[in-house]
Amino acid sequence: MHRKRGRKFGCCFADRVKNCFGKNNCATRTVPGALKGCTGRVQVCKVNGDRKICARMASMGLYPGVVADIIRAEEGGSQCILKVHGGTISVDSSISENILVTSL
Amino acid sequence: MPLKIALAGNPNAGKTTLFNQLTGARQQVGNYPGITVDHKEGFTLHNGERITIVDLPGTYSMTAYSAEELVARDYLVNEKPDVIIDIVDSSNLERNLYLTCQFFELGVPLVIALNMIDVAKDRGIEIKIKKLEQLLDVPIIPIIARSGFGKEDLLETAVRTASKNKRWSSRDISYGKDLDMTLTELVSEISEANFMTDVYPSRYTAIKYLENDEQILEKGRQNNGEVAEKLENIVSKTTDHTQKTLDVYPEAIIADQRYGYIKSIIRQGIEIRTFDMDRLYASDKIDKVLTNRLIGPAVMFLILFSLYQFTFSWSEMPVALLESFFGWLGGVIENTLPDGLIKSMIISGIIDGVGGILGFVPLIMFMFFGIAILEDSGYLARVAFMMDRVFRFFGLHGSSVMPFIVSGGIAGGCAVPGVMATRTLRSPKERMATLLTVPFMNCGAKLPVLALLIGAFFAESKALYMFLFTLLAWVVALLAAKFLRVTILRGAPTPFVMELPPYRFPTIRGLLIHTWERTYQYIKKAGTVILGISILLWALMTFPGLDDQRIASFEQQRQETLSSFSPEAVADLQIGRENFSEETKALAGKIRNINNEETETALRNSIAGRVGGAMESLTGLAGFDWRTNIALIGGFAAKEVIVSTLGTAYSMGEVDAEESTSLGERLKNDSNWNRVVAVSALVFIMFYAPCFITVVCIARESSWKWAFFSMGFNTVFAFFAAVAVYQIGMFFQLG
Repeated sequence: MHRKRGRKFGCCFADRVKNCFGKNNCATRTVPGALKGCTGRVQVCKVNGDRKICARMASMGLYPGVVADIIRAEEGGSQCILKVHGGTISVDSSISENILVTSL
Repeated sequence: MPLKIALAGNPNAGKTTLFNQLTGARQQVGNYPGITVDHKEGFTLHNGERITIVDLPGTYSMTAYSAEELVARDYLVNEKPDVIIDIVDSSNLERNLYLTCQFFELGVPLVIALNMIDVAKDRGIEIKIKKLEQLLDVPIIPIIARSGFGKEDLLETAVRTASKNKRWSSRDISYGKDLDMTLTELVSEISEANFMTDVYPSRYTAIKYLENDEQILEKGRQNNGEVAEKLENIVSKTTDHTQKTLDVYPEAIIADQRYGYIKSIIRQGIEIRTFDMDRLYASDKIDKVLTNRLIGPAVMFLILFSLYQFTFSWSEMPVALLESFFGWLGGVIENTLPDGLIKSMIISGIIDGVGGILGFVPLIMFMFFGIAILEDSGYLARVAFMMDRVFRFFGLHGSSVMPFIVSGGIAGGCAVPGVMATRTLRSPKERMATLLTVPFMNCGAKLPVLALLIGAFFAESKALYMFLFTLLAWVVALLAAKFLRVTILRGAPTPFVMELPPYRFPTIRGLLIHTWERTYQYIKKAGTVILGISILLWALMTFPGLDDQRIASFEQQRQETLSSFSPEAVADLQIGRENFSEETKALAGKIRNINNEETETALRNSIAGRVGGAMESLTGLAGFDWRTNIALIGGFAAKEVIVSTLGTAYSMGEVDAEESTSLGERLKNDSNWNRVVAVSALVFIMFYAPCFITVVCIARESSWKWAFFSMGFNTVFAFFAAVAVYQIGMFFQLG
């Protein structure tokens, strides 16, 4: 995984474009990491940050332990769209970097 | 007392659509979260009985995490409606039942309206309604709010439930061993002290304490400080425990347990899915493309540009027809009524003022239709998501996009609905920054001014300059927002969390309601406020008029001119044959010059003329003469008035707002005007104080303090910008 990330941050234009199209996935992410940069199915391990925001997200269905499908989560762009409990939630970078997930 | 039924549910579950179906109202509905921020009331008749229907804002929970949740909960606990219809989206049962759980906790009399059963069916989802009814012990009625299917059944069941007059009693859901123990302890304390039990059930208060609900905590402190402290201490210990053992706050455990409870019900064969549960629906697949970092913005610009094209190309003919109609009407009045104040007021005050605005109705209608399609289809929510990144840099929020677009970010528009659309913003500071900067957009009223001055001074590349001025409006609005956010509206940005509604095909009925509602507001404004302002401005530009001596002097000039020509030419002129001979043409020209001079002298002597003249020493720094000043003062009332006032001020008689070619030529040939003055005037007009209606709207949405600030800040900024443009332009001799 480290080699892969290193190559991505080496960042030729083609890699960046690939990343834009969600080609990066965290199929090997076994240690919880930030949500951004992932695609596929993940399990939310922890949601950090402001308690009120965390509570609001929990009421929208995004809380530790829940399984989510990531529709879009770009490394550079850092905005994410997740599908959880049947709903589609969009979050910005300040939130996505505080959501720790592992792959399923 | 009529029965009171409240409609509640998640955002985009179809509450307002059902409300419109039940009451026949025309409330705005949008496939965009946060359309309904306040509650709305309507009425319906059922078996001859009048029933009050209340549409509550869409909420995910009954905890005070947002303004909508506060409004909804306060309404329920304070007004205690006879029954609540919980609108549940059948295609997303699990998520929607989360709110239902909280209604159980609150103990309200409930009926579930299982909405969008057609969408669920299309997705291969079959719901065993009878079984769900038994498990939840609540009446459930399948409905399709968009078509009205099931609404009679629903109303009948709601009335029946309400007539049972059952006491509110909360249901217990287990939240796990640790929290249940704490809840028992809390409930015992609350019941013993009768702590807020007149408003909330004891267990509900206990849950809200565990969820750290700020409103309930504050109410508790005010109600009984001692008990509140005791409860907070108990909760604090439990929070420490859950943090140490599970690394989560109690509210996350509660959410998990509620979803667990819902799953335990759904897994009893409630939902039968024909398709694979893991499949991504069309909506998700579209999102993969339309929110893509590269393709997304490109598609967005293409869609917005298409909207612009659609609006202008399709409205061209009806706008021209309306223009001709008002021209014809003016002609009829001109030929029918005798000369005098009444005729002058009808032509210059009413037809020019109101007609100039009504002429834009088709353009506004097409634009609102286009925006309604984007909104109802769910695409605008994606635009907000994509623009969040850009807007965040300027201290705004993704949800600020909608107010900017409505205010004229794309084509025409109006700042009034734009200001109202800021209600969707959660943060007061971000909302205020948006509210104060949306009037910088090029609204429909500014378009004729842009068309007039660009057409007159930059005729070689009109489209390019139009595009550049639109771009300038965006740049200035965003920079102004940034300035406000780093000075008087300083504060941390609000995180962007928004549910993206699924893409839906808008219904024709919905689109027509949307379009008509907004267009009607525009027409109403023209027929009421603008009419009053136009008459007032006409009066200010007409009175006190010229004294008898000066009128006699102009009359003498006319008589002298007439006597210097042959009687045949005078006779031809008197019967309207101005082009009969060269001599008649020359006579007509001389008489017209005297008339124009008289009009100009009268205008300069009028109240408006005197004010314009007094300001000339200051506005001269930006290149504006006294006549331009009059038009700009008129623009404080409504920007639509600027072109027609300029026409009158430049002695062109009754110049219609749309017939700007001749006025443009006149300005082009005037010694006080050149390209630099034109740009300076455009900059001032684009950015100075919002029109009167927008100011009132800003005051209503915030306070008069902010409304006056908006007028002062915008005018000062616009004036300095115009002075800079004029001085720099003249220094480099660009005029």
